[in-house]
Amino acid sequence: MAKDVFEEEKKAGKEFEPLIVAYCCNWCSYAGADLAGTSRFEYPTNIRIVRIMCTGRMDPTFVLETLRMGADGVLIAGCHPGDCHYQKGNYMMEKRFDYIKKAVNSIGIEPERVRLEWVSASEGGKWAALIREMTEQIRQLGPSPFRLMRRKTNATIDAFKSQRLRWIVGRSQVKVEIEEEKYRQVADSIMQEEIERHMITGALKEKGPLTVEEISQLTGLQPSRIVQHIIALRRSGIVNEAGMKNRQYLYKLI
Amino acid sequence: MKEEPRIGVFICHCGINIGGVVNVPDVTEYAKTLPHVAYAEHNLYTCSEAGLAAIKEAIKEHNLNRVVVASCTPRTHEPLFRATCKEADLNPYLFEMANIREHCSWVHMHEPEKATEKAKDIVRMAVAKAVLLEPQTEPEVEVKDVSLVIGAGVAGMTAALSMANQGFKVYLIEKEKEPGGITRKLYKLYPTLADSSEVVEPLIEAVKPHKNIELMMSTTLKDVSGYVGNFNVALTGPTGDREINVGTIIVASGSSNYTPPKGLYQYGVYDHVITQRELDEKIRKGEIGKPERIVMIQCVGARKGEINPSELEAFPKSDTAELLRKILKARKDEGWPYCSRICCMNAIKNAILVKEESPQTDVVILFGDLRVYKEYEDFYRRARDLEVRFIRQIEGVPPEIAQVPEGKLQALAYDALSGFEVTFPADWVVLSTPLIPNRDEITLARMLKIPIGTDGFMMEAHLKLRPVDTNVDGVFIAGTVSGPKDVSESIISGEAAAARASILMGNRKVRTDAITAVVDEELCIGCGLCEEICPYGAPKIEEGKSKVREILCRGCGSCAAECPRRAITMRHFGDHQILVQVKALLIPESLKEVGA
Repeated sequence: MAKDVFEEEKKAGKEFEPLIVAYCCNWCSYAGADLAGTSRFEYPTNIRIVRIMCTGRMDPTFVLETLRMGADGVLIAGCHPGDCHYQKGNYMMEKRFDYIKKAVNSIGIEPERVRLEWVSASEGGKWAALIREMTEQIRQLGPSPFRLMRRKTNATIDAFKSQRLRWIVGRSQVKVEIEEEKYRQVADSIMQEEIERHMITGALKEKGPLTVEEISQLTGLQPSRIVQHIIALRRSGIVNEAGMKNRQYLYKLI
Repeated sequence: MKEEPRIGVFICHCGINIGGVVNVPDVTEYAKTLPHVAYAEHNLYTCSEAGLAAIKEAIKEHNLNRVVVASCTPRTHEPLFRATCKEADLNPYLFEMANIREHCSWVHMHEPEKATEKAKDIVRMAVAKAVLLEPQTEPEVEVKDVSLVIGAGVAGMTAALSMANQGFKVYLIEKEKEPGGITRKLYKLYPTLADSSEVVEPLIEAVKPHKNIELMMSTTLKDVSGYVGNFNVALTGPTGDREINVGTIIVASGSSNYTPPKGLYQYGVYDHVITQRELDEKIRKGEIGKPERIVMIQCVGARKGEINPSELEAFPKSDTAELLRKILKARKDEGWPYCSRICCMNAIKNAILVKEESPQTDVVILFGDLRVYKEYEDFYRRARDLEVRFIRQIEGVPPEIAQVPEGKLQALAYDALSGFEVTFPADWVVLSTPLIPNRDEITLARMLKIPIGTDGFMMEAHLKLRPVDTNVDGVFIAGTVSGPKDVSESIISGEAAAARASILMGNRKVRTDAITAVVDEELCIGCGLCEEICPYGAPKIEEGKSKVREILCRGCGSCAAECPRRAITMRHFGDHQILVQVKALLIPESLKEVGA
């Protein structure tokens, strides 16, 4: 269900920068990632590594929690079969992974967002190639529905805290001068506006000064729509320009 | 009552290694804005004397109770910074590292802005974990000053002598009837062309009468239990079974010679197709005579490419031993993936021995790559001066061996330099074969809980940094049990393993990592699943509850991941300590509430 709701956001976010969480075992894959560094193999900046002693440590809930918190992808990387520092932790992870994958699928999340890979301490090149490939794959899948949902939910809560929307909702309880039908239409579009504006201010609050393009990537909103909102937000003294980046204006919260 | 976390963050430029890409002052300013961070600074080299002094000073001055260093990998530098914390009276487990070099500046050299943003994320994640860190005490045990050495080859005898001469009691067991291992069976050794007996005999003479060494022949390991400092070992030998109690174990059980399958280069078909070992033996016995030509073929059954991952995928569910048995079976015919390192010199040595005895004999060495390192280059030149012919082959086009009517052998080879096929009538064809893991190595490794690598040899704890340690505390490896070595390298590793074991036995005490499993007895129902899962036998059900024997626990966390009651967590790698990093990454504003 979540997939359909965010269809448009995902399309708008095709060029987005995914955030992938990698759980690496200390002995093989973390060391493999170290070797990629020592060898200066470049790869995209979209990965964040959490070190664990062994993939045997990976409770299935870790993967699901990571998805729920909004990671666009989860990578579990351990020693090759036969190479486990603890003899069989990777085999246990492999068995467990079947269940995790099925569970992820049943939630309605693309199972490709979750991967189990073997990278040894000597495979710096393999690590770099894997991150390149997985980043591209997740980019194609689009932003995590959880992340979009959380952003949108947070923005909606903020919108319902705002004076403008509260006024409109409160006002509808008493006698209004115009037809009910018309009032509803206006109220709906104001609600939509407020949610979107809070998505924009939320993104600015989280990431600091951003360009319209960057805001679009984070929120999934169309750039033209964002520009309209920025104009309104500037007028209300909420947002202001903050210099240039790549020949585009940066905006920040005042 | 928990004290309020006061975190100090130290961000390293690492010269230009980090500072040349990541905007370190910017990251420092960012760190100062994070909740619970009481102090942040950046240093040119945090690991320098001045950098470490700055950490200690800041701990005192700002009353810090947690330290985060953002620099390189914890795999090399965590021990150093932990020790620094300890010197400043801060529990070393209240330290966390953020890897912004190997995992950031070095891999994003052309994206400084994105790398800076990533470094901020990594620092925030480390700060989040630091908030939840707890002081830990490393378990300490007594170490018995007695050692067991398995295998009385050159490496084993060297290790035994080294420890015995320091005053430690050593049990030295050997499965064969005679000590000396593979070396005793060799004739001459490269590059000195000394008799192997010149190396082996003095060792045996020193070992046998030594008052601190008990040498047991035809004896093997039956069972091992216990842990570093206190292993109970069951032995079985000609006089029956015996139990001994030792503090350390050195595995020097050696390797075997690869025997080519029948038909490979006509081995086993024609009598005059032999291995280098057999040639060595024939030279010793003078059975070679003065032949017209000897053709040697290098890398027979070795360097057959990496093990193909699909080969492993064929048995995804099997455990290590089962898998390896299959690999060993598959390898039996195809050969082994690695370079055996000693065969080039071995072939050159035998070529020189033949040439010096019979200069008119034409010795041809067919090789793919020739690996003569260090002073062995001189040895190679000596062979060239004696007019030994080295002919390069190309991969995938192996020489063919046939018998010609006159009863002689004939080698048909492709010369990579001239691009022509060349035919060599030969009296002898000699195959250079690798050293391979012993068949019983799997059983031994299982008993001792040492992992085996995909090459089939026992794995060292770290290839570069801990070459004679295993990941089992108190168990060390020497000689060819961890991969092919020549005699001098075996002696070096024997001495090294003995030194590592002596440190433990000399101190009489050892501390192990505090990353161990903890059971919540309220939740535990004593089902015993952890007992079955643990590869080390650390948890044991006593009076209906799981009790983890800390000293046996290696900290892998498999029991924590599988416990049906979620009653088990790991010290220093608790569920909350792992997930808080992800939360800090994906929901930055959550950091305020962490630890509240």
